[in-house]
Amino acid sequence: MSDLARQQADFQRGILADDDSVLVEIPDSPREKRETLFGVYRYAYGSRLVEALRNDHELLHAYLGDEMFDEMGHAYVKARPSEHPNLRWFSQGLPEFLRANAPYSEYPVVADLAALEKALNDAFDGTDGTVVTLADVAAFAPEIWKDLTFVAHPTAARLDLTTNAAAIWRALKADETPPDATLPDEPVRILVWRQDTTPMFRELAAEEAMMWDEAARGVPFGVLCSMLATYDDPDNAAARGAGYLHGWVTGGCLSGVSA
Amino acid sequence: MNVASRLPDTSRTVGPLTSAKPPFLGFGLGLRHQHYDEILSGSPPIDWFEIISENYMVPGGQPLQTLEKIRARYPVVMHGVSLSIASTAPPNFEYLQGLKDLAHRVEPKWVSDHLCWTGVHGKNLHDLLPIPYTQEALDHVVSRVQLVQDFLGRAIVLENVSTYVRFNNSEMTEWEFLTELSRRSGCWLLFDVNNVYVSAFNHGYDPLTFLNGIPADRVVQFHMAGHSHMGTHIIDTHDHPVCEDVWELYAAALRRFGRVSTMIERDDNIPPLDELIVEVNRTREMAGQVLGQAAQ
Repeated sequence: MSDLARQQADFQRGILADDDSVLVEIPDSPREKRETLFGVYRYAYGSRLVEALRNDHELLHAYLGDEMFDEMGHAYVKARPSEHPNLRWFSQGLPEFLRANAPYSEYPVVADLAALEKALNDAFDGTDGTVVTLADVAAFAPEIWKDLTFVAHPTAARLDLTTNAAAIWRALKADETPPDATLPDEPVRILVWRQDTTPMFRELAAEEAMMWDEAARGVPFGVLCSMLATYDDPDNAAARGAGYLHGWVTGGCLSGVSA
Repeated sequence: MNVASRLPDTSRTVGPLTSAKPPFLGFGLGLRHQHYDEILSGSPPIDWFEIISENYMVPGGQPLQTLEKIRARYPVVMHGVSLSIASTAPPNFEYLQGLKDLAHRVEPKWVSDHLCWTGVHGKNLHDLLPIPYTQEALDHVVSRVQLVQDFLGRAIVLENVSTYVRFNNSEMTEWEFLTELSRRSGCWLLFDVNNVYVSAFNHGYDPLTFLNGIPADRVVQFHMAGHSHMGTHIIDTHDHPVCEDVWELYAAALRRFGRVSTMIERDDNIPPLDELIVEVNRTREMAGQVLGQAAQ
């Protein structure tokens, strides 16, 4: 290992692991001890990464408050040192970290809130895509609608939350007191996407979530309606399917339709 | 990824990659999202914008859409924080490809980053970390700059960083290092006036010695920024207006380097655009006072 490589390894260990061995290579300045000067880098490391988490998780921060958020943030920084050159991606592992590590794992609403914010962040700067319009869909003759397949907008993502984190998100966004965290009997099914430049989300009924998931897998509209018929009144399954499709198109959730 | 195909052509023996000196752009500002609407709804008197490259190294959405609109109206320069040019870790070619793709899209007047490293062993500390000014480090950084320049197909611009520590094994001064680096690699220099002031205070030397040690013909950009004075040392926080001492040093930099593209860099505690325009105007006025007609 070269001197430079060894020196950089020591310096990094000094920041990440509070190892002081690098200090023998650093002189005091005319006005300050080396420990204090090196401490600038140590402090900046943690504070910069926690600040990045605050920026990415504004509402989780509001929910937890400064003290608890920063404690959580430093725990994440310690457990998951950044491995990506772009700070944008540092917080990507936060929902999974919160789900897997106590004490946060004992409060699933925390991981859910982080997951929802992550999905919205990802939609914000996700890949651009064309947007299907009602005219695009109407251009297909009714007799071939059963064969229509759909492509989700590249920013569209589905997530199932185990808590009422979506309701808490809405309250926090409106600067209102959030409701108490609850565990609904069924998962809260969320669709996230970007409309023009604005990240959006909404909750889906069980059958719409099923239809979305299957449509995203390329299942044609006729089969989707047959699947909907197993969820509720089979006589109006096609009408329900058309209604959901209308919502996806007007919301800008689809990038492709073909027969 | 075929890394081998991206390695520099070592058969080339003509020395540093030669390229025309970047143009003088006037007096600019660091582009921050807080000012997007004001910039696009008006025509603020700013000659050019510098973007943080990594903020736009994303798949799509509003950041890139906004950047497209701004670059249609103003010259843009790319300034990165993650090149890690002095790191002994293998170069991150995925990052470099992203940088190259962004440069292809943005067509910046130049691409800059810092003389520093940001991590080794797969970790990224997201800080501009100092290096020892040794012959070994110089050889290493020269070879990395040549590699990056070959990969990007353009000469890059490197900035002096604020440092809080020095190393006992340094064999030369920072300005000697920068001079040799620029001469051997062909990279241009971004002279951060505030960083010179900060490092000079922290390490106890005269900032004018630094300034006078840099070759005048290699400097293509000035940064002006604020800092936080801790009494025994200064931290480069970019969250305050430029202080009077740094303005004085800017005047000295103008006298030595002449007409150089200058910008105000604020990264935290972002004020309304008007407040920053006052500082941009002051860079323009001071250049006019020091250089006269030559500042235009």
